[in-house]
Amino acid sequence: MRRADLVAAVVLLALAALYYQQSFFVVRGFATDRLGPTFVPRLLAGALAVLALALLSRALGGRSDRTPPPGARTGLLLTIFVLLVGYAVVMPKLGFLLVTPAFLAAVLAALGIREPLPVVGAAVGMTAVLYFAFAKLLGVLLPPGPLGRV
Amino acid sequence: MLANFVLGAQVALRPDALLMTLLGVAWGILGGALPGISGSIAMALLLPFTFGMDPAVALMMLAGVYVGAMYGGSITAILISTPGTPGSAITVVDGYALHQRGESGKALGVSLVTGTVGGVAGVFILVAFAVPLSRIALAFGPPEYFAFGVFGLALISSFVGRDLVKGGISAVLGLMLATVGTDPFSGTPRFTFGSVDLVGGVAAAAGMIGLFAVSEIFYQVAEGVDWERVRGRYTTKLPSLLELWRLRVATLIGIVFGTIEGLLPGGGGAIASFIAYNEAKRWSKHPEEFGRGSLEGVAAPETANNVVTATALIPLLTFGIPGSNSAAILLAGMMLHGLQPGPALFDRTPQVVYGLFVGLLVANLFMLGLGLLALRPSIALVNVRRPFLLAGILGLVLVGAYSINNSMVEVWVVLVTGAVGYLMRRYGYNILAMVLGFVLGFMVEVNLRRSLLISLGDPWVFFTRPISASLLALAVLTFLWPILRRAREARRASPAAGGVAHRAAG
Repeated sequence: MRRADLVAAVVLLALAALYYQQSFFVVRGFATDRLGPTFVPRLLAGALAVLALALLSRALGGRSDRTPPPGARTGLLLTIFVLLVGYAVVMPKLGFLLVTPAFLAAVLAALGIREPLPVVGAAVGMTAVLYFAFAKLLGVLLPPGPLGRV
Repeated sequence: MLANFVLGAQVALRPDALLMTLLGVAWGILGGALPGISGSIAMALLLPFTFGMDPAVALMMLAGVYVGAMYGGSITAILISTPGTPGSAITVVDGYALHQRGESGKALGVSLVTGTVGGVAGVFILVAFAVPLSRIALAFGPPEYFAFGVFGLALISSFVGRDLVKGGISAVLGLMLATVGTDPFSGTPRFTFGSVDLVGGVAAAAGMIGLFAVSEIFYQVAEGVDWERVRGRYTTKLPSLLELWRLRVATLIGIVFGTIEGLLPGGGGAIASFIAYNEAKRWSKHPEEFGRGSLEGVAAPETANNVVTATALIPLLTFGIPGSNSAAILLAGMMLHGLQPGPALFDRTPQVVYGLFVGLLVANLFMLGLGLLALRPSIALVNVRRPFLLAGILGLVLVGAYSINNSMVEVWVVLVTGAVGYLMRRYGYNILAMVLGFVLGFMVEVNLRRSLLISLGDPWVFFTRPISASLLALAVLTFLWPILRRAREARRASPAAGGVAHRAAG
């Protein structure tokens, strides 16, 4: 896991630095305690930096565990992740009822279901069940999109 | 206490509470039966549904899921030799052997009955420990709570998972996540990057769904995890009363180890079931049957993991420190309803605590009743083709996250924490430590600052009070223990290595 640990250590160090830097943007209010709102965050940034350095020195010293072989389907995972991000971007604009079946169908197709009937049937069926459970039973206001409220 | 139980029963036996507990148990059995969907994931997926409920009912429903999942996990362990939950991993050995011998009904029946016995015994043990402990916790002030939070974090970071550095990193990341939102003392926003949606902090429920459920789905997609289908016949001939009576020693062993594990952090029933299996074999009159289809080999682990469903709540309810994934989700459920676990919970909202006690008993009885009825639907679900299942769970996750606050922010939180959780799983980090840091962060920080406010800035306040001093000492010891152990092992190994070198040289 040496390379992965090296990358992680660098990313975590950067995160610690960014988090520390951001703590300077916290406004210290009038009514506050002795430690103030930035003490704990800066302590945590320090702790993260120390731990990341420990990880780094271990990786450089060659004392990391073996890296697990990459997942057989990392590309597929990326596809699914992109679909999820796309859903989160588009759904508020086009609405739940339009975007969800398209998203589910795309996920099913990506996962290897190619027969159109099961894909469409499942995508529409699942959307209907989710819509009924959340919008009708729980009263959640799902984004309506151009279709309006059904 | 009796009055409190009556109060709890009044809540737990209301028709809506009974219905929700029943649904929770059914959902738990179905979820538990699916390999890869553990009890905690099934609970996380249900969190958004509990939002509008009476807090006591919401907690009963979530606890019902955990109870049901333990039995559900044994269904696939027995029928397809794949444990549905980590707690039923060892049940595979004898459960599957019994199934192959054509005695699947006996194996399932034993799992169900001894599991119920374990679950009910667990509730009594929970009450016996939690109520007195909550009185001790009354003596806790801010320094003690701070020290206890630190101790809990040290315990999880160093004992769960193998890697101390990565455990520490995980816990710190969780604590950092908890600092997002309004500062508890000055009221100023921190790390919100100008977003109004983050002023209230990162929703615990969304974080849990991402870290537990979404990361697992990502893992299954990337690693191409698949499982057997339930094919062929299975019998439903149940064990006789005499056969059940012969399992009393194995059941008792399961109760003992389930209790011990519940009090310790991190296992979620898996360790207890392994130890109970081995001990049951040692104490058995027929140890030779273990591994070839021994009913005792099913009874001991299934009792143990069901005892844990109740005993894992002891540290959560009394001190607010969750010791397992599912307890962490129950804590998120409490936070969702504005409840803070600890002694105040027993005092101010006895109907919630005692309602949960009675609800757990009810959930176990429901499990006994539902167990065989749910068999066919569980098998049907296990036999659904994987892509359909994954797509359905993703759909549920997205809408569920949205419904927490009727906003997309939680959907993004779920996606980001899901991706982070996947990387953590893959590269050996400690998800439970991160979750614990996240849910305890607020409590730890508030009590640190409150202590220093009371002591007028004197940090000795943590070391002059006996309870907080001993807890902090324990925390340091716990965190350093793996290092000390390694050093001792190295020292022990080195004279031997030296001896070998000497001989080789000679």
